[in-house]
Amino acid sequence: MKYALYPGCVMPTEQYAYELSIREVLPKLEVELVDIKGFSCCGEPLKSVNQMLTLSLSARNLAIAEKQGLDVYSPCPMCHFSLRECKHILDNNKDMMDRINSMLASEDLSYKGTGELMHTVDLLHDVIGVEEIKKHVKNPLKDLKLATHYGCHLIRPSEIGRPVNSENPQKMEAVLVALGAKPLFYPEKLDCCGAPILANLPESSLTKTGQKLQAIQDQDFDAMVDVCPWCHKMFDSRQIKAGETVAAKLEIPVLYLTQLLGLAFGIKKEKLGLDLNISPVNKLNLG
Amino acid sequence: MSITDLTSMGESQTQLRKEINERLSKLQAEISDYCYQCAKCTSGCEAHKLLELEPHKIVALTKRGLIDEMINSDVIWTCMSCFKCRERCPQKVAPVEILFALKNMAVATGKQIPGNYTAMLQSVLSTGLLQEIKSVSTKDNKTKTRSDLGLPEISKPTDPAKLMGTLSKIAVEKV
Repeated sequence: MKYALYPGCVMPTEQYAYELSIREVLPKLEVELVDIKGFSCCGEPLKSVNQMLTLSLSARNLAIAEKQGLDVYSPCPMCHFSLRECKHILDNNKDMMDRINSMLASEDLSYKGTGELMHTVDLLHDVIGVEEIKKHVKNPLKDLKLATHYGCHLIRPSEIGRPVNSENPQKMEAVLVALGAKPLFYPEKLDCCGAPILANLPESSLTKTGQKLQAIQDQDFDAMVDVCPWCHKMFDSRQIKAGETVAAKLEIPVLYLTQLLGLAFGIKKEKLGLDLNISPVNKLNLG
Repeated sequence: MSITDLTSMGESQTQLRKEINERLSKLQAEISDYCYQCAKCTSGCEAHKLLELEPHKIVALTKRGLIDEMINSDVIWTCMSCFKCRERCPQKVAPVEILFALKNMAVATGKQIPGNYTAMLQSVLSTGLLQEIKSVSTKDNKTKTRSDLGLPEISKPTDPAKLMGTLSKIAVEKV
């Protein structure tokens, strides 16, 4: 299995724990990640400003990967959404495709729509498979009570094709069970992290984060698991601040799914960037 | 090409405004046929409880053509783009897409872009990425860069000026 790694912006400029754990774990599962020069922002964070800008940026990145003849692995749900929506629009609208391609021509690029697009969750669950993952588990995550968070952009809208079910996503749960952990349902599971309005309404944005974390803490979960650098930035990096907005002392360990995979596979925690998580991950005594 | 080209009220925005207007008219036509104000969108809206966004009212106002009133209001900027309204609408109306079109229109008609959007836009136009590469702190307060952590060089546009030339065409395409 060979994929072009499309890193996006947030992961490779600050969320290094996700990138480190991806680069450690996926090769162990026979996934070859190819680094390509020249990618840019996917455009999604600027969709409110100018939707055409978003569309062009996404098409540009897809075109770069197509040029190398590779399918794309996008670990960020925001990027994954934007690239998928771009595919959805351009593959169904020849005029728009021609228009975008006339713009991409100045960089000698052209979008054709030949490549596939994957995210961490479907790569692990659908392509690699739970049985294969089980074979690599050395240190089962004994009955760790986990709350999963998929991120809105990963689950909706199903109309354009998303990797998981929109109302009852279970793929992360299946992977976690394979690791020996105990993912459980909680009513706030589909709630937003608040990140999309961080740019203009930071206070309200953090309140959303705080409300979800508080609900998880009140339900006695051991940790929260996510697969999105934006969500992680809120739940992990800004956890203390988010606590202030809901007047609660939040102490919920927040980890990337790929970090938990690495720990279960017996990879040293330094290699998985565990010392970069701001939330109290040490209290789990893993690795 | 600078950020003013994308945000100013100058004549250069005429084409862009025309396009967004067409998008809104198309959305308006779809709504008029289908939305029956059941408010399922509002019942699930992530921004509703906290920021009083009511997507079904946005749809109703669009139906009545009150576009100017909405693009002058801050409420359109409270949408968290969680896409629940688009996913759950029994009539396949997508309030979130109306909100995106309204926000685009607000920007194209020279309304102030709120918060950090301007900085983000500036960064993408000048470097191709949303933000600068940051160094981070470990639990024991050591500062680490990408290379300290053994990560390869970041993937970014090799010729940002060329990229910017392409991107600025979008906003000021037919100048």
